[in-house]
Formats: sequence, structure tokens, C-alpha cells
Amino acid sequence: MSKARKALAEAREIKNPELDLVDKGIHSFEELPGLFNMLNITRLTLSHNRIKDIPPSIAYLVNLEILTLFNNQIEELPVSISSLPKLRILNVGMNRLDSLPRGFGALPVLEVLDLTYNNLNENSLPGNFFMLETLRALYLGDNDFEVLPPEIGQLKNLQILVLRENDLIDVPKEIGELTRLRELHIQANRLTVLPPEIGNLDLVGSKSILKMDFNPWVTPIADQLQVGISHVIDYIRSETYRYLYNRHISTRGPPPPKVNDKSRKISRIKQQG
Amino acid sequence: MNERKPDDSPLPPSELLSLDHSQLYMRRKLTSSDSNLSVYNFDLLSDENPHIPEDNAPLQGSFSSIVDTYNNLEYTPNSITVDMSQKTCSHCKDGFSNEKIVNTNGELWHTQCFVCAQCFRPFPEGIYYEFEGRKYCEHDFQVLFAPYCGKCGEFVIGRVIKAMNANWHPKCFCCEMCNKQLADYGFIRNQGRALCHDCNAQVKAVGLGKHVCHKCHGVIDEKPLRFRGEVYHAYHFNCTACGTELKSDAREVKSRPGLLANDVNELYCLRCHDKMGIPICGACRRPIEERVVTALGKHWHVEHFVCAKCEKPFLGHRHYEKKGLAYCETHYHQLFGNLCFVCNQVIQVDVFTALNKAWCVHHFACSICDQKLNQKTKFYECDEKPVCKKCNDKFPAEFKRRLRKAHQYTPQRAPV
Ligand SMILES: [Zn+2]
Ligand SMILES: [Zn+2]
Ligand SMILES: [Zn+2]
Ligand SMILES: [Zn+2]
Ligand SMILES: [Zn+2]
Ligand SMILES: [Zn+2]
Ligand SMILES: [Zn+2]
Ligand SMILES: [Zn+2]
Repeated sequence: MSKARKALAEAREIKNPELDLVDKGIHSFEELPGLFNMLNITRLTLSHNRIKDIPPSIAYLVNLEILTLFNNQIEELPVSISSLPKLRILNVGMNRLDSLPRGFGALPVLEVLDLTYNNLNENSLPGNFFMLETLRALYLGDNDFEVLPPEIGQLKNLQILVLRENDLIDVPKEIGELTRLRELHIQANRLTVLPPEIGNLDLVGSKSILKMDFNPWVTPIADQLQVGISHVIDYIRSETYRYLYNRHISTRGPPPPKVNDKSRKISRIKQQG
Repeated sequence: MNERKPDDSPLPPSELLSLDHSQLYMRRKLTSSDSNLSVYNFDLLSDENPHIPEDNAPLQGSFSSIVDTYNNLEYTPNSITVDMSQKTCSHCKDGFSNEKIVNTNGELWHTQCFVCAQCFRPFPEGIYYEFEGRKYCEHDFQVLFAPYCGKCGEFVIGRVIKAMNANWHPKCFCCEMCNKQLADYGFIRNQGRALCHDCNAQVKAVGLGKHVCHKCHGVIDEKPLRFRGEVYHAYHFNCTACGTELKSDAREVKSRPGLLANDVNELYCLRCHDKMGIPICGACRRPIEERVVTALGKHWHVEHFVCAKCEKPFLGHRHYEKKGLAYCETHYHQLFGNLCFVCNQVIQVDVFTALNKAWCVHHFACSICDQKLNQKTKFYECDEKPVCKKCNDKFPAEFKRRLRKAHQYTPQRAPV
């Protein structure tokens, strides 16, 4: 009996609604017979396996609240995933996604979405993505976004937004509408300026985080950043900066080149035929 | 007393039977002294001026002539000797031979002549009615002359009430609101209805927007006392505690909260009510007679116990207290933090705080493999989320290199 089957049988026996199948060498859900009949499951963790496909039957697990698929080889998610009525936390980090399925934004109670370390960009998001009103944390680090759609402003409950190591050349001013945002990670992109609206947010309090290193900032921002994040925000809130920002936007040339080398990312490996 | 009927037991001519009399119409029985008389007694009740008829009031209408006749009846002794040869039948004027003779009130009849003027049959049970000198059986008399009741439609024998353009049995002429018999009290016509004085006063008072006491039916001029769903004059009640007569400021106390029926409610004077310790709402300062919420060392109306931030009532939902104020879950978190990053619930007991976040004991775990962590477990950080050593080790080399680079570069944050 495989390690996976053993773990599955054990969980069934003790009626454990939280199923841990981490690092069990699983290639396919076919190695987990009966899993989709275990309707009592609230958490399913399949990190560090070699799964390529998520079957549509995943939607049978109607009590699923937490689904963790970190570090597999998933290239796409089934459309049916958006019908999981109780899914609150979805972690598909470190996979090979280059798009999200149609209708994904219909997930009714999704709170935490981790898409770290995939191959996603602004064209990978389905039309209703920003309908995910319940979202409080969105992890998009290590992807390929050059632009963040202005609809980001619709995610009113967002408290955490991670865009570390993408290819962003701009942050939309609508980010200033995310009044509950207290963590913003935009380090290692191609950003030169930030919209003054970001000054509306509380990103420098004792309960806030703003990470913005490794960007080709305009000199005044880079100078303030040397002294500290709070100085950057103070500066962004000033009239001087507003003037500089407007002039910069109207006169700026081509965006800075991409500098992140992503060729060695394991998410880039493509399945053969 | 022996009772005989004219047709079955022959009567000696010498025995003249007596009749009782009345000043009014008589229903007669031919037999012995009849204690079973019915009387027609017309009361003419006028609506505008309620008329209380006196006993033996004179009759009205066409029947009065009969009354006259019988008002003059003489009492005839039971036994009297009469010379039969000179007597004639009151009906056919012939003399009598040796036969049964009927004697009524001094008049003599052949048995076959003593019959109903209408149907020519003997009077059943000897009962007859007399009108304008003729005698009728009960049936024909009623058909020809008796009034019928405007309510039940039956003939009215005995006392007749004439009112509202109709005749009534006394028991049938009633107040249309309270059903009290009106014959002896008079009545008032109110929009085509006959009402007693009280009900008429009520109708008038309600029309003027006044309350009517549920106990005495009188109009309440001052502020009414509400009690068990009705209104009353306050002076009908006494305080449950001290017994003083109540004023309209008395309080009705729902003595068993939550019960639907209010027939267990009690009344207290204002002073006793205040002394009883009825809880006072911490928000509106008014007594709480329904459900009481006790929190923050005070009592509250359910709808007045609200979040200090958004002012929405908790209505039984969980609230959180901080510095003497109560908050809803959302605002408690917004103001004071400590929502678990995983379950998003307020953390009640033990809190893990790290990486600008908080976790409840059950949910502090590696963000990648969901393995539980505790205070002693060493963990790594990635995007400000906890990562266990095993997971960190499994990161691809190029990713680890980048993480390391980022950590080296990040300026040390001043400890908060
Ligand atoms: Zn009647
Ligand atoms: Zn009445
Ligand atoms: Zn009264
Ligand atoms: Zn009292
Ligand atoms: Zn109140
Ligand atoms: Zn509130
Ligand atoms: Zn929790
Ligand atoms: Zn882990």
C-alpha cells in the first residue's frame, strides 16, 4: 500500500476532517481512490507532490475550507473549483499556472488566495476575478504581471497584497481605495514612481508593512527609502511629490528593462506532449 | 281542586264555575279558578324619551275596549242557585233542557254553542280569548289579532313592548350592543339601533375619540390606564404592592417575561414600581420591561445594546468588550486587532503573534504544508508568512538564493 493510500485510510478511520498528504510522491488523484467521497473533509493539504491535474470532481468536497496544493506541477485548475461553497483559503503557490479558469471570481467566500511562484500575468485573470469581494489576502509574488488592473480597487476587504518580483511598471492609483490594506509587497519590480493616492493608506503604522526595495525608483524616492519607509510615505504625501509625479508621468520615456531572471524558475518547466 | 272540562265531565247546572280576572286582556280557562292567566300588557316605548312603564299602566290601541269589558268583571261565587227555566243561551237565545251548560262570567251556553267564533270548534283545553264580544280559540285569536315579536317572530302573549316601529316580547327587546333587556329601563335610538344608556354613551364617547372603561363602561376623561390589553379608569385598581388606589401613571409589569399571555401582568403605583428594581436601560434610561441584556455592568434594552463604533445592535450576536465599551466583531478587530490569520475569528485565549499577524493556537501552522507550529518551533519567513524548516529546505535553489538576497538587503527594522 502506498504512503498516500495508507494516510487516506487512516484519515477515513478516525474520521479526521483535515487530511494531510504532504510529500507522498503523489502524481495523480487516481492514487487517492475514494477521496472525493470523503465529504466531511474541511482541509486538504497536498503540498510537495507531483500532481499535474486537478479533476473537476474536486467540487464534490463541498465542506472544503482550506485547499493547499503548494509545490506541485499544476498547469491549470478545473472550472468547477469556483463552485466550492466553503473554500476560504486556496494555496496553489509554486505550480505552473499561466491562467486561472473562467468564472474563478465566483468563489463565494474566498479569503486568502496564494498564487505565488507561477507564470501569471494581467492577461491570466478571468473577467470576474475582481468580484472576489471577500478576499483579504492576495499573494501574486513571483509572477509576470507588468500591469495591475485598476479593478484591484474593488477588493475592498484586501489587507495583504503581494506583488514581489513581478515585472510591474506601474501601480494603479485605485490601490489608494483599498482602505484596509496593511501589507503591500512590491519589491523587485520595474517601478519608478508610486501614485500619490497610496498616501491615503496606512502602510507605516506599527501594524503595517510596505516592502518596496529593488525598484528603479526616481531619485527623491530612492533617497527617502535609504532613510526609511516612513520617510517615503511622508514624501509621497507632500505637494512637492504630487508635482514631481505629474511631471514624471507626462514626460517619462520607455519603461525600465526587465531584470528578474526567471529562466531557472521550476514553474517554467513544461510538460512534454 | 277538581278540574273539569265542559265536554267530558258533565257539570250540574247549579255549579257555576268561577273565572279569574285581570284588568287586561284575559286568556281564559273554563275550568276552576285559573291561576295560569296570561296577560297582554302593551308598553309603548318611545325612543326619544325613554319611557319607564308603571305597573298596570293603561292599555293603548284598539285592544283597550276589551280591557274595559274585563275590568268590570264581577267575581262569581263558585256555587250559586239559579232558576234555569228563565235562562237562555247567550249564543242561540234558546232555553236549556236537561243538558250540560257552560257558564262563563254569568253567561250561559249550550255546550255546542260555546265554540270559537272563527272555526266553530270547541276551545281546546277550554282556553279562549275574547275580543269585541266574540270568543276565539288561541289559534285563531293569535292569527286574527295577536301582535308578533319583531325579533323572534313568535306571537306575543302577555306583555307587549311597542318600540322601534315594532312589537316585541319583553325578553326580546334588547340593547343591540350589550344585549341587556330594555323593557324596564328605556332605550335610546342611535342610528337605527336601540341602545341602553351606557352603550349609547360609549358610542358617543368613542366617536369623540375617548376611551371607554372596560370595567364600568363609563367614558374615561383623564389618561386611561392600560392593563392586560384593555383600558380602564385607574381608580378601579390598587397597587399590587402597597394597595393604594392607582392613578393613570401606574405601571403594568410583565411579571413573567417571555410569556405571550399578558394575563399574569400586575399593576403597581409609580413609587412601588421604581422601588421594585425594574432594570433601567443604560442607553435610554427607561425601564426595561421586555428582554434585558446585562453587559458592561449595566442593563440594556436588546435594541439599545449596540457596537460603540457602528452603533448597530448586537441582537444576541457575540460582542467584545474593551475599556468599558462593547464592539461588534468587525470593529473590535479593526480597532484592536487579533483576528486569526487562518480562521479570521477573534482570538479569545492564547494568541501567537508574528510577522505582523496573529493566530489562534489551532491555526498557527506552516503556510505551505499546514503542519502545526508552536512557540519552540523554528520557522522561516516568506512574504511575511511562516514556513517550516522542512518546507524551506524543499524550496528550489534559485528561489532560496533570491530569498537570501532579499533578506540581506532589507534594512533592519527598528524593534516595535
Ligand atoms: Zn320574541
Ligand atoms: Zn347596552
Ligand atoms: Zn371604569
Ligand atoms: Zn404602590
Ligand atoms: Zn433603552
Ligand atoms: Zn460595529
Ligand atoms: Zn484560527
Ligand atoms: Zn511546512
